[in-house]
Amino acid sequence: MTGRGLIDAERRRFNRWALAPSLIVLFVIAVLPASYLLAVSLTPFQLITPGSSTDFSAPLRNYRLLPGDPRFVNSLWVQAKLSFWGVLLQVLLGMLLALLLNTRSRVIEFARTFFLIPMVLPPIVVAVIWKLIYTPDISPIYYAADLLHVTMPSLTSSVDFALTAIIIADTWEWLPFTFLMVLAALQTIPDEYSEAALVDGANPIQIFIYITFPFITPILVISAMFRLIDSVKAFPLIFLLTGGGPGSVTEVTNYYAYLLAFDFNEIGYSSAVTIVMLLLVVAFSFGVIWMGRNREAMT
Amino acid sequence: MSGRSGRRAGPARHAAIGLALFVLLLPFLWLLQMSFKSNELILQIPPPLIFRPTLENYTSLWHGAFSASFINSLLSASFSTALALLLGVPAAYALSRWAGRGKHALGFAILVTRMARPIAFTIPFFLFYRWIGLLDTVTGLVLVYTSFNLPLVIWMMQPFFETVPQSLEEAALVDGASTRTVFLQIVLPLVAPGIAATAILCFLYAWNDFFFALILTRTNARTAPVAVVNFMNYEGWEWGKIAAGGSLVMAPVLIFSLAVRRYLVSGLTAGAVKG
Repeated sequence: MTGRGLIDAERRRFNRWALAPSLIVLFVIAVLPASYLLAVSLTPFQLITPGSSTDFSAPLRNYRLLPGDPRFVNSLWVQAKLSFWGVLLQVLLGMLLALLLNTRSRVIEFARTFFLIPMVLPPIVVAVIWKLIYTPDISPIYYAADLLHVTMPSLTSSVDFALTAIIIADTWEWLPFTFLMVLAALQTIPDEYSEAALVDGANPIQIFIYITFPFITPILVISAMFRLIDSVKAFPLIFLLTGGGPGSVTEVTNYYAYLLAFDFNEIGYSSAVTIVMLLLVVAFSFGVIWMGRNREAMT
Repeated sequence: MSGRSGRRAGPARHAAIGLALFVLLLPFLWLLQMSFKSNELILQIPPPLIFRPTLENYTSLWHGAFSASFINSLLSASFSTALALLLGVPAAYALSRWAGRGKHALGFAILVTRMARPIAFTIPFFLFYRWIGLLDTVTGLVLVYTSFNLPLVIWMMQPFFETVPQSLEEAALVDGASTRTVFLQIVLPLVAPGIAATAILCFLYAWNDFFFALILTRTNARTAPVAVVNFMNYEGWEWGKIAAGGSLVMAPVLIFSLAVRRYLVSGLTAGAVKG
């Protein structure tokens, strides 16, 4: 079987040549930058201070400062609030929308595509759209409130409403994602279950509670996890709508890291903040994967 | 086939769906109608719903600096897509035919690079580009975008290659064809639709980027998303231009998304289109 062996050797050579360029490029543009970030986070690097980028005399200084930095602690808290309420609303509304659209009809199949628009828009366009909605002079909701003789506070510059304004915009943007996931799950439920329940005299609410909901629970959890992991990426909304303000009411950790590096020039400290943030996201993702494995093992 | 879908949709349901769609798309439609209004019309109270549309916002964008930004966006997104496909498609093929260990570890590593961006990469890229003079260049953007498009290509193309029957390749190999020939002349044509879908998603990821372009460009390589935001900060709140710029930035995205909506879900679960 030397022919076979030759083919295998040739195939291995081909595989090496096919994989090598990608691995080298990934190493250079992903692994090296990540390692460099870690190195910088161990220095007091500021662009204006020469030599500070290689000063490893107190490597853990940045990390020691973090717990005592009220702005950092606050930013984690803001992120937690934004993620929690955003994901909760997205999962709830996405599920309701999916239930509404889970029906056989040509017209509705066509309409489904349009429900996906907010999700596929460039994030910066989403931010522009909500900027238009939240700017009193030109906004339809301020005009409507005026007609009803209600005075609306300026949402994005009010301490009480700024974070809510971001959550609303984020929910609008990502609602289609949970909608799409839940709809896909709904379409795998066999007809027989609800038909049998109908014969037994169950009402639609009972069918939902006892048949539909248990069936879609895993997908609800999965889409919530995906959204939680990605909810750290609300940067364009915050950048354009509130700039982290008023004060630091909407300043999430990402945004704080951005300000530290590119406004305050604290590149070393900003890298430390980013590393901590990254570790939290990766730990959380590991948790999700581990949960998924356990679920598989159980069933 | 599907649970409650067995029931036919009544008129009440159709009405509810129509209303939901209208409410959901209202903010989007508001931007669109604003892009066809002159600035006086935009500030007019009550907002006129029926008006004579004007293209003046679009023409003034076209004659201004915005067209250059639009071209920068096109160039950086296209080149990074091409580069990612060139490197990633053969790698995905090799991986899909490779049963060895480390496949899952590699898959996870790829997922992590997708989650990490963009926060983790901006500072290193900024410092490095500042050092070698790639700040504010399209080349710099192409490299950054490849850092997240290459994992996407490898991740998305594997299932497409797995659908190609191995017996087809083996027959050609036994006839004396080299693996390279089999790959180029037999396998690649079969996965062409997959390549097209992947290419469009790569293009969209790069096109949608705001964060990298904000930090790594100034004026020469400024992309369209950053240019739109600049209308807000420096050019005195020209709402018409902002709306028209926003509409132009989203136009290719809407067209392409319709083309690949079947693949949107798998592409999204690779770590969301945006970041």
